[in-house]
Amino acid sequence: MFRNSRNNKSVAKLAIWLISAVLAGQHFSATAQTAESPLATLTQNDLNVGQTLFQTHCARCHGMLGEGGEGANLTQARLRHAPDDIALISLIATGIPGTAMPGSWTLNETELLRLAGYVRALGELPAEVMPGDAAAGELVYQTKGNCASCHILDGAGNGVGPELSEVGRRRNADYLRRAVTNPDADQPRIATRQRGTINAFLTVRVVSEYGTYEGMRINEDEFSVQMRDITGAIYSFDKAKLISYEKGFGHSLMPGYGAVLSEQEVDDVVSYLMSLKGEV
Amino acid sequence: MLQKILFALVAVQFGIVGFADTSYQQLLADETNGADWLSYSGGYSSQRFSPLTEINSSNVNQLKVMWAYQMPTAGIAGAGLQETTPLVADGIMYLTESPSTVTSLDARTGKVLWRWSPEIPNSVLNIGFPRINRGVALLDDKVYVATLDARLFALDAGTGAVRWETTVADNDTGFSMTLAPLALDGKIIVGVSGAEAGVRAFVDAYDADSGERIWRTYTVPAPGEPGSETWQGDDWQTGGGSTWLTGSFDAELNTLYWTTGNPAPDWNGDVRPGDNLFTCSVLALDPDTGEMRWHFQYTPHDTHDWDANQIPVLLDGEFEGEQRKLLALANRNAFYYLIDRESGEFLLGEAYSYQTWAEGIDDNGRPIVIPNSEPTREGNIVWPSLQGATNWFSPSYNPLSEQFFVANRRMGAKYYKSDVDYEPGKPFLGGGEQAMDGDEASGAVVALEVMTGKFQWEFPLQSPPWSGVMATAGGLVFGSSNEGNFFALDAANGDALWNFNSGAHVRTNPMGFSIDSNQRVAIIGGRTLFVFGLE
Repeated sequence: MFRNSRNNKSVAKLAIWLISAVLAGQHFSATAQTAESPLATLTQNDLNVGQTLFQTHCARCHGMLGEGGEGANLTQARLRHAPDDIALISLIATGIPGTAMPGSWTLNETELLRLAGYVRALGELPAEVMPGDAAAGELVYQTKGNCASCHILDGAGNGVGPELSEVGRRRNADYLRRAVTNPDADQPRIATRQRGTINAFLTVRVVSEYGTYEGMRINEDEFSVQMRDITGAIYSFDKAKLISYEKGFGHSLMPGYGAVLSEQEVDDVVSYLMSLKGEV
Repeated sequence: MLQKILFALVAVQFGIVGFADTSYQQLLADETNGADWLSYSGGYSSQRFSPLTEINSSNVNQLKVMWAYQMPTAGIAGAGLQETTPLVADGIMYLTESPSTVTSLDARTGKVLWRWSPEIPNSVLNIGFPRINRGVALLDDKVYVATLDARLFALDAGTGAVRWETTVADNDTGFSMTLAPLALDGKIIVGVSGAEAGVRAFVDAYDADSGERIWRTYTVPAPGEPGSETWQGDDWQTGGGSTWLTGSFDAELNTLYWTTGNPAPDWNGDVRPGDNLFTCSVLALDPDTGEMRWHFQYTPHDTHDWDANQIPVLLDGEFEGEQRKLLALANRNAFYYLIDRESGEFLLGEAYSYQTWAEGIDDNGRPIVIPNSEPTREGNIVWPSLQGATNWFSPSYNPLSEQFFVANRRMGAKYYKSDVDYEPGKPFLGGGEQAMDGDEASGAVVALEVMTGKFQWEFPLQSPPWSGVMATAGGLVFGSSNEGNFFALDAANGDALWNFNSGAHVRTNPMGFSIDSNQRVAIIGGRTLFVFGLE
């Protein structure tokens, strides 16, 4: 009984605090809400403590660096279950019903804020000086680059490669420069349960009695593989019936644009991509 | 007896389900009685072997879903995963749903007979593992369940009403329970989780009728007790050695076999020098007194969280020309072991999975540890990962072909060590792991020759599995995957003969039974229990 009363009290206090925080957010404008985030005043020391708390309480499922595993990859600017800081704090405190994510009942309010601050920092990218002109880059994207033939951006284009509407939140300029000029160098990865992060756009080559197919793996299990080719067509194969099945690690279907675009054009496209934050 | 036979006849004729009553004599005969599945591992030897042959390699490709049961969403956060093995007695199925609900179903149709949930607060402590439960025990007219907040309940098997309850340990300090209890003659045996919170773990026996505790055997000795020389100072008080998986029992030898988990804290071994007995071990216990007859420690002074909480499989056979009573265990540390279960003598230790921490196992059963394979502050890559080359999910032994089957995880990890202070009810870890590139991780169902550990065949899995296997006398091995497939392999060569996409991650063990003389196999994918048959 002591335990329940203690924790209930702690939860009640937190609930009051969260309600106050939410009300405060409503009182101010949307911009002001960011400034009023309870995480805004955390110091580097708070985040260091938060890192220790993370390694103690969270790393077993989310990985020592937050890279994911049994739990979600947290090194993302936008977390699906925690769109804002208050939702993040609440989620860490109470867990997610219907999933393996429990509440962190042993943390006090200060620890909770420090931990949430560290988790949020995992997905934050430092501000960068852009090398080119985003408006000029948009034009290159639409014309010479013909990027929409393989990428969806704000609802337009073909979904062969990664969707780019929020790419500026997830990547830095160096990464995007490599992605444009040498797509083989880095390929997007996704966190999977029980396996850690895997190549999200793995190039595969399938030979069946009907022909040879090259494309990107969408899914795969012990018995079947699903892939999408460069036209967007989706195929499902029974592995037992294939003549051969090869995985092209380190090979992207996207052509390198280093020889197609000038250095200035690459700078402009990178600046344009970095401006894509998914904000409507 | 006459009454029982008459009832069985009536049951077949009218298709009604039976009385909920499971005697100790029936538990002793569980292994040879394919119709029921009366204890977690399908019998005291824990072979998870179905003697039924109706479903076999010639017709398994015609297997179909006979019924399914969809579990309602749990009442508390973090309780979305299912690791239960359903039991079946006389046509009635009993399973648990996370965190600690017990459900009784008509095993013929899947219709709910009753459902019971204890009050588990959202604030329950489960430090180092998910909010799951692995199943119940049956004895006489009662169903026994261990709850996440470390209580033990006896329920009326016919209605789910509570007969008695007892608090096993204090959840405030991190004790918790997820295992299926083991029912012996008049006794219920349980163990506890909590090494990640620095508990001092134990095995308990309770009177099946009254709930009174009969004995408690700690897995970490107090000063002066045997094994205490492997600890220093007060380290034993927070020494871990959890007992979180159901053990095995040999009625002839009147010996209980129970496995233990990691020493605490997990990854910083500097603060607990010594072998840390009796962690990462198997214990042979007198079931009447709890007295330890012998022990064998698989991983002395573990620093990788390689609990020995795997199923100890009891089998008899000829080892190097001599008839022996054996205990086989495929350990999380990537080695397969055979021990003489009468004497505790170490007989065999062979790697069954890629590993980088030991050159082998010496003649005394002690690993020959490769230097610099411990966690470091900068991170040190070692195979297998902390979840091991296998884990709690069950292996299976086919006594007809003398094959040992195990679901094998193949991945490494970067292990970290950090400073750590003990605080009651808080994580006591001293480090952690970073997963390696997932594209390099995989899994397999592996068949080993039981007496030598020699590799026979493997069926590759897309990712490191979290679900067990069941062999049958029909020449099959049932298994499943994270990708959601439930499949049947040919025990002779590992070829896949049938598969079914359950639609969600599978993290349970297969089990089998029969109803109206028709064989059934069951698995849970996500929150749905599927029961398969031919007719």
